[in-house]
Amino acid sequence: MSDTIPAPLLRRPRSSALPALLRRLLLDEYFVLYLTVAYFAVSAFFFPALLDPRNISNQLSNVWPLLAVAIGQTFVIIIAGIDLSLGATMGLASVAGAIVMTSAADKLLLGNSPVWGWLLSEQGGILADQPVAVAVGIAVILVTGGLVGLVNGVFIARFRLPPFMMTLVTLMLFSSAAIWITQSQNIVNLPDGFNRLGSGDLVSVYFGEKVTPEIKRRDILPFVTYPMLISLALAIAAHLLLSRTVFGRQVYAVGNNPKAAEISGVPVRRTIIMVFVIAGFCAAVAAILYSARLQGGRPTIGGGSALLDIIGATVIGGTSLAGGKGKIPWTFVGVLFFVLLSNTLNYMRLSAFHIDVVKGAIILAAALLDVLRVRLAAGDGR
Amino acid sequence: MNGITKAAGISLAAVFMACSAGAASAAGTTVCYAFQDLSTGFWVAGHSAIVDTLKAGGVEVVELNGGHDANRQLEQVKDCIAQGGNGIILTADDGDSGTVVVAAAQEADVPIATFNRPPSDMSKGIIVVADNEAVARAAVDAMVAEAEKKFAATGKKLKPLILMGDLGDPNAVQRRAGFMNSVGAHPDLFEAPVEVATKWNSQVALAGLEAAMTADPSIDFIFTSSDFLFPTIQSVLEPIGKWKKAGEADHVILGGLDGDDGACKLIQDGYVDSTGVQDVYLEAELALTGIMDAIKAGDARPNAVKLDPGFALSQANYAEMGAKTWGCQVLAAK
Repeated sequence: MSDTIPAPLLRRPRSSALPALLRRLLLDEYFVLYLTVAYFAVSAFFFPALLDPRNISNQLSNVWPLLAVAIGQTFVIIIAGIDLSLGATMGLASVAGAIVMTSAADKLLLGNSPVWGWLLSEQGGILADQPVAVAVGIAVILVTGGLVGLVNGVFIARFRLPPFMMTLVTLMLFSSAAIWITQSQNIVNLPDGFNRLGSGDLVSVYFGEKVTPEIKRRDILPFVTYPMLISLALAIAAHLLLSRTVFGRQVYAVGNNPKAAEISGVPVRRTIIMVFVIAGFCAAVAAILYSARLQGGRPTIGGGSALLDIIGATVIGGTSLAGGKGKIPWTFVGVLFFVLLSNTLNYMRLSAFHIDVVKGAIILAAALLDVLRVRLAAGDGR
Repeated sequence: MNGITKAAGISLAAVFMACSAGAASAAGTTVCYAFQDLSTGFWVAGHSAIVDTLKAGGVEVVELNGGHDANRQLEQVKDCIAQGGNGIILTADDGDSGTVVVAAAQEADVPIATFNRPPSDMSKGIIVVADNEAVARAAVDAMVAEAEKKFAATGKKLKPLILMGDLGDPNAVQRRAGFMNSVGAHPDLFEAPVEVATKWNSQVALAGLEAAMTADPSIDFIFTSSDFLFPTIQSVLEPIGKWKKAGEADHVILGGLDGDDGACKLIQDGYVDSTGVQDVYLEAELALTGIMDAIKAGDARPNAVKLDPGFALSQANYAEMGAKTWGCQVLAAK
């Protein structure tokens, strides 16, 4: 990687170029957290409605699915890779699970599907209306995600294909497969038990006095939701895996220097394969949350600007594109910042096109900041 | 460095202040208009009609472009609800996502109207939609009148083809039904129809139509489920010498649906035989009055279907109906 960096970029910054406080701040591992808090405080000054519990509750509901898939991307970027196929994985996993669970399908829409007549019919999927449908459907989604990750990992580890190229190919392959299987249609009529995973809440709250005979439903806010519990559980498990296990240390070692890691006895190939399987699994968890939220298996669920959001949130969190550095709490903060950014841009009444331009600029700034921090850290290490 | 930092800080503060001033001006009613794209003349005209009318009435309009991302549109609508939007006008990406968005709005006690593209579940919300089956059937009936003349002259059955929209969109399903009902009523006149999927995408339509015309160059009756595909049809027919005016040899009988300015011009020029007209201005007005009435009445969950009956514009009735067609009005204003 360092062979390709132009010489001028390798110059170390002068120690006196930045004030000591700013240097310390930039090198602090929770720099993005401070930035997020500062940004929130400034934004809230201009847009007080950001502090409205309704708004906060709503923004948190946008955090959880993105967090799930960004966790997978964090693993991949730590080993100095990139997974462009996570959106396609979500789409394929979403329709695979939905085909199993759906209780009815329209022949006019899906009659040309290659699975019509044996996996899918007008009476639904093979487990339509069965008590085990939700459990098996979820299992199918998770296994599909894991298998896509396995394909990526095996080709990258065994055949030394660049992750960018391999996952670009699987992005095309699996997104096309999802569209072909469903003929680009959504698979709807999913069980209520599954749909509740997308927006159901265990604890709701109401702020304010009961001054009217009836509290409006919009004022009753979800507080503890299923997506929250699922994503936080995934985040905690991923954090423990990275920070407390031998496998976690192997992941960082591969990201820092794969050759040195191999010489040191780290099973590099197996680690790479496992990382991509984890990424596929995380994408599948996100597919569950998005599919349940939209109440349907959708082949295009990870399309559009989803990949921008996934990579953007991960990189903004501070996970280094150069590999070897990254933490799940950082990604959590990155996702929070990214969702907050979208929220404030929305308050500014910007169009979707302008919002994407700003998001792209912020990601570029985060990547440049990463370069700066690496250079500063190298300067400190002299 | 310090100068740049200060300049950036000052600029950022200026942007925030300007934007917050805009947001603060929303003292009265706020209506969010959530749409998916402005890629055809119909959507551009509808967008202008809705936004301009609301703004002229002193209503603050929040425009939300989902960019064909159902999840993003859902998040945008939830943002609108969280920010205290009083009402929502929605054009969903497809009927299924429309159902979810309408349910989310009603769950939060915010009235919602759908403009032109209905949700799969048409029992919830104010549904403003053209009577697509009837409009498509009327347009194809006008084409059939031309087909009967051709059959009388040649004695050969015609080979019909339909460019279908996204069948996840109830509009596309109804337009296909209108086409099938009209063509199916004349088994002595037509061979079995060829169906080409477009997904409302001109590239998909181009590939499908080229393949169909290559497989059977004798196709001589084409109906497109939306007028925006006429340029695509022209790009396929022209190279094979079949882009001809009505009355000329090798003329392919052409029809569409929307009534946009492009179709109006092609009918004027003689290339297209008919188009089903859905009145974009009437539909925009129905959506606007529906949502504003609900807001005024405090009706959080209004449910109603408001049909635009539409009509067919053809070469035969152009003199009479052209002036009533929104696309011809747009064309005249150019």
